[in-house]
Amino acid sequence: MKKAPAILILFLFSGILLFAFSSFPDSGIIPGSSAEHIIQHGVGETGSLNLVTAILYDYRGFDSLGESTVIFAAVSAIVLTLSFKTLPVSSQGLSFIVKRTFGFLTPFIFLFGIYVITHGHLSPGGGFQGGVILASISIIFSIIYGTGFEYERIKPQVKTIMETGGALLFVFMGILGIIYESGFLDNLNFTNQRVGTLFSAGSIPLINLGVGFKVGAGLAIIFYSMIQKTFIEESEYGL
Amino acid sequence: MIILEYLLMILMVIAGLLAVYFKEEMTSIICLSLLSIFLSVLFLLYKAPDVALAEVVIGTGLSTALYMTAISQIRAGKRCLHREE
Repeated sequence: MKKAPAILILFLFSGILLFAFSSFPDSGIIPGSSAEHIIQHGVGETGSLNLVTAILYDYRGFDSLGESTVIFAAVSAIVLTLSFKTLPVSSQGLSFIVKRTFGFLTPFIFLFGIYVITHGHLSPGGGFQGGVILASISIIFSIIYGTGFEYERIKPQVKTIMETGGALLFVFMGILGIIYESGFLDNLNFTNQRVGTLFSAGSIPLINLGVGFKVGAGLAIIFYSMIQKTFIEESEYGL
Repeated sequence: MIILEYLLMILMVIAGLLAVYFKEEMTSIICLSLLSIFLSVLFLLYKAPDVALAEVVIGTGLSTALYMTAISQIRAGKRCLHREE
């Protein structure tokens, strides 16, 4: 009866969770809450059709800055503990057919990532999602073309510059908010006239661009510093 | 619509149980990415496309690649240890 405590804990927690879910309020907006205010006045105040992006980068922009600081700390810690200077080309990648097929597909994946970043204020998506799509291109490159292919073309220094530039763009838009508007990360209202076009919603698209570059470059750096150690060990031991 | 909802929830539970059940790590990782695919479809049904996009990209793509890299790295380290002995 070694599994009895585990089963007991499972049923206890599933009972608590079922109780919690069943006591959720029905779908509907509590009158007078901030959700009601954002749904009614959000488009007029921020100029962003996607209200999720409006909350993330305008109403709660400071929280998003904290999230990108967390990613920055994670990237710094992983690079500090796992980084090595050189990456020998040890794997040759997959077959010719896979390489050619992915060569045709890459521009479209890249275009989709850029679309998700730049249209973050109009359609679902945003800087974070688009940045992860761009980072996944880098990961697929290292799997299909071998580890050294992208490493030789886009150096880690370039990725570090992109990541830092994205973070600095975020903070720079916040400081512009102090200068031109009422406070830190306040939305700049200079392009709010034509809601629904690409160049609208003030500073939200620029912050999206910064977060996209930051997340994409940061996750690519994490992945490459993780595979670096493996291949150096394999080359040392002659595998 | 409600049948699809319950079907997706049951499939999610099955995928999570399979991820614990298998001893092989790669199979467990694939089961986890399957779970996040079902979860993202469920998010899309609940009209949260932003969260669904993030779940697809992170849960299915990125975390699978990172787990596989970490496990292959651990295996390479084990091979090196055996060689030293």
